Amino acid sequence: MAEKFDNLEEHLEKFIENIRQLGIIVSDFQPSSQAVLNQKLNFMISGLQDIDKCQKQLHDINVPLEVFEYIDQGRNPQLYTKECLERALARNEQVKGKIDTMTKFKSLLISELSKVFPEEMAKYKEKRGEDGPS
Amino acid sequence: MTEMFSTLFGQNEAQGPPGSSSLGFGPGKAPPPIPQNQVSMAGQMPPQLVDEGPALRKSGATNEHFYLLRELPVGNELTGNTNLITHYNLEHAYNKFCGKKVKEKLSNFLPELPGMIDCPGTQDGSSLRSLIDKPPVCGNSFSPLTGASLTGFRLHTGPLPEQYRLMHIQPPKKKSKHKHKHHRPQDPLPQETPSDTDPKKKKKKRDDDPDRKKKKKDKKKKKNRHSPDHPGLAGSQPSSNSLR
Repeated sequence: MAEKFDNLEEHLEKFIENIRQLGIIVSDFQPSSQAVLNQKLNFMISGLQDIDKCQKQLHDINVPLEVFEYIDQGRNPQLYTKECLERALARNEQVKGKIDTMTKFKSLLISELSKVFPEEMAKYKEKRGEDGPS
Repeated sequence: MTEMFSTLFGQNEAQGPPGSSSLGFGPGKAPPPIPQNQVSMAGQMPPQLVDEGPALRKSGATNEHFYLLRELPVGNELTGNTNLITHYNLEHAYNKFCGKKVKEKLSNFLPELPGMIDCPGTQDGSSLRSLIDKPPVCGNSFSPLTGASLTGFRLHTGPLPEQYRLMHIQPPKKKSKHKHKHHRPQDPLPQETPSDTDPKKKKKKRDDDPDRKKKKKDKKKKKNRHSPDHPGLAGSQPSSNSLR
């Protein structure tokens, strides 16, 4: 999987470098640079062709839209990954806390109900024992 | 209160114990007559629901004690009780992103990218959001430019106007361990003119100045040694050749 990204990355780098050189040529143009300019323009088109060919390998890759917002703001997209992981861990801990609290509550409730309704609770435990682990 | 429920849900009055009409959940069949041995059970109401779920569809013997007892939901092995980061083998990623400090700017993620990439994309119309909102026309094949179409790219000589000189303003490049860095171009390029690379030129000047000074000093010394005006040899006039 990393190989198809490497391929695209290589093509993109070459393309960007070509564009940068084009910008340098154009910034202070000389008549002798015309041939080089034409060559660079055709390199740009071939670069676009190469990048277009890469999309077949990457059709199954999905990028979250929120990452684009980070990039548009000039922020490191790795911050999005970091925040996702932190949010996932925080939510995981929150849910674990709820599960633990509910488990404790259940055991407390059963013990208290068993004191007040011993026969009914015995039947309940028997019933639950048939259905599966409570 | 009981009368309101019975009028709302159309319950017959003579249906089981008097309290049952207050629980009229909907139009349903008349409840079966309650056996005598069940009357003694405190707080137990005969079922009146039409569709009560799988628990109460079981035989009456199992449900006779617990009216609303339902089957437990199918257990899911993966719950919030498990550390999902460990479960999905994301510990390395977590330590990488959350253990160390991740730099804020986009240029730290893409150090080799030319231009001012830390500015918001909305300022210069290069935002990815605009690309999503207005996708470009695709589907046409890429064909190289022919001679006729290249005539449109005949440019005037001379430098660009100031307002268009944006490309060469780059943040200082940091050393990166990127593996593709080595393929810098080997194509013959026209040399960058001094007008476009003022910051680079200034750097070059600064770098050259100490070297130049050293060279000048060396030259001075050599000239002073061999010149007839050397104080060690003869003459009292100071040498005026140092300004060359």
